[in-house]
Amino acid sequence: MNSLLKIENLQMYYFTSKGAVRAIDGIDLELFMGESIGLVGESGCGKTSLGTSILRMPTPPGRYVEGKIFVDGIDVIPLSEKQVRKDIRWQKISMVFQGAMNCLTPVYTIGHQMMETLVEHQDMARSDAEELMKEYLGYVGLPPEILQRYPHELSGGMKQRAVIATALFLKPQIVILDEPTTALDVIVQAQIINLLKKLKQQFNLSFLFITHDLALEAEISDRICVMYAGKIVELGTNEQIYGKQGPSHPYTERLLAATPRLFKKVEELHFIPGTPPDLIAPPKGCRFSPRCNKAFDRCFEEEPPLVEIEPGHKAACWLFH
Amino acid sequence: MYKWFAVKRVLKGIFTYVIIIFIMSVLFNTVNEQTMRSSIEEQVRAETMRLKNMQPSALQHFQEQRRQELIRLYRLDRPLMERILFRTWNTITFNFGKSTIIKSSRGDREVLTIVGEAIPRSLILFTAAMAIEIVVGIILGLKKAQKPGSSLDKSTSLITMIVYGMPTFWLAMILIMFFVYQLKIFPSGGMHTVPPPQGIMYYIDFLWHMTLPLLTLLLIGFWGIAFVVRNIVLSILQEDYIMAARARGIPENKVLFGHTLRTAAPPLITMSVLSLLASIGGAIIFEGIFSWPGLGNLYWIAVQQNDIPVLMGDLAITVGLYQVGLILLDLTYGFMDPRIKVGGKA
Amino acid sequence: MKFADFKYRLSEFWSEFKKERSGLVGLAILVISILIVIFEPFILPWKEANTKWRSIDYWQDNSAGAPPSWTNFFSKQKAAVTVRLENPEDEIIEMDGGIKLASYTFDYDYSADKAPLDVIFHMVGHGDLPVQVAVERPDGQIIELAQRFEQGLSGQDIRISLDNDGRESVFTFIKSHESEEALEAYSSKSFKTCNIVFNQTREGMATEFKPLKGTYKFIVRALLLVPGYSEIEDPYTVVTGSVSGLLGTDDSKRDIFSGLVAGLKWALIIGLLTSAISVLIGVMYGIISAYFGGKVDSVMQFIYQIVNSIPILPVLIVVSAIFKPSIYMLITAMVLFFWTGSVMTVRSMALQIKEETYIEAAKALGAKHSRIIFKHMVPLLIPYSFASMALSVPSAIVYESSVSLLGLGDATIVTWGQILHDAMQGAAILKGIWWWVLPPGLLIAIMGMTFAFLGFSMDKILHPKLKTR
Repeated sequence: MNSLLKIENLQMYYFTSKGAVRAIDGIDLELFMGESIGLVGESGCGKTSLGTSILRMPTPPGRYVEGKIFVDGIDVIPLSEKQVRKDIRWQKISMVFQGAMNCLTPVYTIGHQMMETLVEHQDMARSDAEELMKEYLGYVGLPPEILQRYPHELSGGMKQRAVIATALFLKPQIVILDEPTTALDVIVQAQIINLLKKLKQQFNLSFLFITHDLALEAEISDRICVMYAGKIVELGTNEQIYGKQGPSHPYTERLLAATPRLFKKVEELHFIPGTPPDLIAPPKGCRFSPRCNKAFDRCFEEEPPLVEIEPGHKAACWLFH
Repeated sequence: MYKWFAVKRVLKGIFTYVIIIFIMSVLFNTVNEQTMRSSIEEQVRAETMRLKNMQPSALQHFQEQRRQELIRLYRLDRPLMERILFRTWNTITFNFGKSTIIKSSRGDREVLTIVGEAIPRSLILFTAAMAIEIVVGIILGLKKAQKPGSSLDKSTSLITMIVYGMPTFWLAMILIMFFVYQLKIFPSGGMHTVPPPQGIMYYIDFLWHMTLPLLTLLLIGFWGIAFVVRNIVLSILQEDYIMAARARGIPENKVLFGHTLRTAAPPLITMSVLSLLASIGGAIIFEGIFSWPGLGNLYWIAVQQNDIPVLMGDLAITVGLYQVGLILLDLTYGFMDPRIKVGGKA
Repeated sequence: MKFADFKYRLSEFWSEFKKERSGLVGLAILVISILIVIFEPFILPWKEANTKWRSIDYWQDNSAGAPPSWTNFFSKQKAAVTVRLENPEDEIIEMDGGIKLASYTFDYDYSADKAPLDVIFHMVGHGDLPVQVAVERPDGQIIELAQRFEQGLSGQDIRISLDNDGRESVFTFIKSHESEEALEAYSSKSFKTCNIVFNQTREGMATEFKPLKGTYKFIVRALLLVPGYSEIEDPYTVVTGSVSGLLGTDDSKRDIFSGLVAGLKWALIIGLLTSAISVLIGVMYGIISAYFGGKVDSVMQFIYQIVNSIPILPVLIVVSAIFKPSIYMLITAMVLFFWTGSVMTVRSMALQIKEETYIEAAKALGAKHSRIIFKHMVPLLIPYSFASMALSVPSAIVYESSVSLLGLGDATIVTWGQILHDAMQGAAILKGIWWWVLPPGLLIAIMGMTFAFLGFSMDKILHPKLKTR
């Protein structure tokens, strides 16, 4: 078992006053060493929830209902908060959040926040710690003076780089990146993506890259996982998903179709009609069926399981049975 | 960066103060001049008393002469604007003149002395109250923010609302009726027993006198601060960077006391100090009830004795202290919020 | 803002508001207060309390500093309650020469342990009238209390007080029951008449009071000498007790409950007027400052900062001391300071709205400034301003009471602050006259609490991020 991360039948609901929102409703996923999985889907499909769930900190009022999350062979869900804090968070898995703008506490310097993270997990002399911090700042292309700066003094791109450096310096094997470039302009975006690719190679990292931008996905990931309404609808390699040949889940097809190509003439912009389903009371059968143009009777009655349709390529659709 | 900010702020404060004093001088000009004229009369009469063996006509002439001299001295013969500006200048330079009746503890009638003596007495009571209120308020507020919607949270919020419109002076009245006259535990007022005891008993006596007023202030004061702390902390706890800090494995108490409280400090200090400055107004009646010889009580006495110069002087000092409070507030805020302290692009 | 829109918003707001218990309590108290104000003429025990608060005559039949009547419940020795006896049994006896004898009998049930303080007989008289007052005790004895010959009256009030006018007769009465020696030390002036009249007749009655309980009949007789000219109207009797009214009396004999009821409407007027006007001004100020920006904003900000750095109450007090304003002038003065309260928040909210694209769109369409402000910005800020208004009411009420407490209030009206001022003047705290000190301040606190409940509940609904259900 070479998987760094193995998620088995994970169910995590948000228990609100209006009912339980089934944000993650039965997810199975494996992440292997040195590979990068891209997690795509519309807003509200559960991808960010998955990110925080893996880190064992679902946003309140979220709670685990079912399932296991194996990190290095150990199920993290039943562990105590202290254990998770000491061993799992940041040591084995770290996370780069959405919205770099607001991820650093405004009243502490970058150096303070980085130092505090280091010291929390490792016994180090201050001078060694500083050296380490400067080293990683170097990797992300930031000068050591950054340590004395406050977050508001940095640009978005610089903040994101600092956050990436912090996510890496404890040498975790898994890094979850939740829309790390959404708030940045395209040029900076490209820089960050290149940086991430370089670091992935340099440190043999495994990424779980969450985004809604398919193009970005293609750049950085090895495998793609398509989510819809709290479930995985398709899982495969870049080739299998983006390549022209081979079968595909109708949702993925529509997603791809909705992205205009640079070199093709655009007659009209495609979109997927309808809205994502209400996760408090999801529809019977396949959750995508109300919006699917290929749906037939069985789709509205029974939920299709995630099955392999070709080696290494899984889909949850009755079309493939 | 910060020094420049500080200097600017202080200058702005002084400027504002000058303008306010100017407005006051305009507003109260008539009354002030009436008072001046009567005190001139009084002075002339006092001087005439000392002269004996003078013909009535010579006496009259002397009085007229002196009267005119004094009128010239106080510039009452000049055009309106000049008189107002002259008064403004005097007030700013703390030239408050003499009171009509009230005497200071040294026995003189210098308004500046009278008011000046009262300042530390008010300050000690209200800063002590403020310090305790802030500490208790922060502790309670944090507790409330940790479990929002709990019975602690709800019950304390209820008490906050009940106490919101309660006049401190009324609570003072009730407590005095009960503790002073019924139970006879505390003295009925003033700052010291007369005559004051010596040595260490002097301080204990002072504290004993301060207990009931302090208690009254506290009973009403810290709820509001706790409420504000709760809200500020709660809204910060929902921020992304708090979640990010937790994700980085920072232990909860560091997140709470370090990241959260530290970020909450600027708005928190603003709110607390502002509400405390607002209570300066309530101090007037409050001190009166306790006969606590501070600035507030002075208003009371001055109103009853119709001593206009003292009233004006007290007002000028109160406005000044208020300004100082606001300035200190901004300076502290600026110091604690790195976005201002260090500047740069926000 | 269409009416249908408004109704919808209102019902949405209401369904949220209903969930806040404290808000409902506040609303209930407010509604009750308004009802009390509307029905004031019916609720006031002393109908002319408003206008006659400072008249001595109006209250003269009361006792001074009397505790509330229900305190009797807690004491073993029951005190007599001040009551007004009306609707006497009347009888007109025709006599010779057209002269009529008008006789009015008042029944008084005396069951207290302590004697009343006085019995006062009133009637409106016309013409020449000899008047006589007597009492028939439960033990059958009849005491002639007082007589008077009023002449030339044309509708004036005749007032006969037992303690003033009946001393001689009562002294005569006690002489017939007590020995000479026992009465040596006394004269007609040295005892309280009621202590005799209501006393059980026996040896030693001069020194000890034993209540003679039962029904006393006070008989007022007047000879209407000249038919058609001499007349008696509206006779009534007041038995002054040592406890009185719902909340007792102050040392000027005024019924405190009436004073408080009369003060309620002023508290509401002061609070609501001040807060409504100042918040309205503040909101408009904030919107205009934000909307026009630039130089306008700078100037407005400057003015705002000046006014905001002035401590309100000291200035109000000095102004009141010097100019002695009426209540409406005081309200105006308060408004001149209160308006700054909402400006900053409104301004930042307005700045945010200004950045919205639909505002740009409206401008591009050529909409006038006033239209944009009133159609797009004001409706969004109205809910906030209501919460703001509610929360500033308590301060207005407390400031007015503070000014009144110093004796600088408007002397033509009755406010709770003034009642407290009188209490201070009358050393009520020292004397322990708690029914004078506790209720007025308590009402101020309750009013403050009410608007705090209302304001915070409204605020909660408008700032949902503070809700943590």
